[in-house]
Amino acid sequence: MTAPRIPTELIAPAFNPATFGIGKREVIDQLFTRLRKDYPLAVAEVPGYDPHWIVTKYDDIREITRQDAIFHSADRSKTLASQLAEQLMRNYTGGLPTIFKTLVHMDDPEHAEHRAVTQPHFYPQAIAKLEPQIRETARRYIDEFLAKGQGADFATELAFRYPAEIVLSLIGVPKQDHQKMLDLTHWLFTYADPDLCRPGANITDPQEIIKTWDIVYNEFKSYYESMIHARQQCPVNDLTSVIANGKIGGCPMNERNMISYLVIASTAGHDTTSATTAMGMWTLAENPDIFRKVRDQPSLIPGFVEETIRWTSPVQQFVRSATEDYVLRGQQIRKGDLLYLSYVSGNRDEDAFPEPFRFDPERSPNRHIGFGYGPHICLGQHLARLEMKILWEELLPRLASVEMAAPGKFAESEFVCGPKSVPINYTLA
Amino acid sequence: MNTQPYLKYQCILCGEIYDEELGVPEFNIAPGTRWADVPEDWLCMACGAPKSEYVLLED
Repeated sequence: MTAPRIPTELIAPAFNPATFGIGKREVIDQLFTRLRKDYPLAVAEVPGYDPHWIVTKYDDIREITRQDAIFHSADRSKTLASQLAEQLMRNYTGGLPTIFKTLVHMDDPEHAEHRAVTQPHFYPQAIAKLEPQIRETARRYIDEFLAKGQGADFATELAFRYPAEIVLSLIGVPKQDHQKMLDLTHWLFTYADPDLCRPGANITDPQEIIKTWDIVYNEFKSYYESMIHARQQCPVNDLTSVIANGKIGGCPMNERNMISYLVIASTAGHDTTSATTAMGMWTLAENPDIFRKVRDQPSLIPGFVEETIRWTSPVQQFVRSATEDYVLRGQQIRKGDLLYLSYVSGNRDEDAFPEPFRFDPERSPNRHIGFGYGPHICLGQHLARLEMKILWEELLPRLASVEMAAPGKFAESEFVCGPKSVPINYTLA
Repeated sequence: MNTQPYLKYQCILCGEIYDEELGVPEFNIAPGTRWADVPEDWLCMACGAPKSEYVLLED
């Protein structure tokens, strides 16, 4: 059986971060719509990259991601990486596929053991107890944003900062360090975006991503080392204390894993929520009918939040490697093959979502895969939902109307991608 | 008729809660469906974990 091949000129743009910054990702939407139709599961052979199966269908992504033993996360780069980048990384780390060893980069039993350290703190019943402080934070950010007046950028002034403050406070990072954490997050996830990348980074250099990851890892390491030691001596009520004193198989967690745990919490713990929140406002500003409907019926807010997650799909892709031969959608996947899982495609799959390109806050069911699926599903999903629900509950009653003050802009990133600018004009209620 | 109070079960992988009183009508599990009557091949709606990964949620 010969694996179907995607024409290189068709798939290559999906390997380029700049493509994701065009308009409202319509090039990406058109590309994956074509793939779902003509190449739902086929191989991409893009020069400079190992071949990847491009997985575009919702059911296939779910089938893969609920079988962690067959489709590994730790053997190769977890995100799309060129052959050169992978080689540089292995040279740099002494043979490992990545500098970081976060939950995202682990397989079982390591993954389950590490996840269990913090999992109870992210269950809905634990998150619900945070509601008063989240609501207070939301009100403060809304007051500050509205004080900036017309044309203020909802993405940079509110959506970037509000979820960061909440999760960083839970981790135990003092407010004066939140901007540093935001910058490191952008350097890591939007390393190729000219507005968000590390200052001075040469984004045309293939070694740049390795250099940036190294800098980011060491910045976090130097920041969290002393905090970890302090919390081991004297635990307080924060996530750093939980991680610093976490036990794996009865032994302390190793330092690299501890730092990585805090890195993922300090970055992925807010960046995807920021992207989704910014996209939510962009959607409201361009669709006054949806704005009025959700504002006038607060009971629609949870559905609105779910639809913004599906619509935004901030994590564009993860890559898995097959540990054994496997037949998927009639295609023979071979042991060692790489599979690029397109979450934005899965969340636009016509077979899973009727009228997938219609934003519908009343969509039901709406079992999107914006948080992933399977044992690696987003640890912070319940926190993200609550943060967004409270923000819209507090903000929408204060607005009579909203519109874009200038065109919005998407970040140039093939990994975590969302709006980087959403300037708005509004009238107060 | 079963007069026992309705119980809740939670997926230990993702935190999703199954509430017997509510069921999951969107997936054809009617309100009032006891956990024991949920099909054994049922998967967690959120993360796809098998039914065996759910535990009784104590108050």
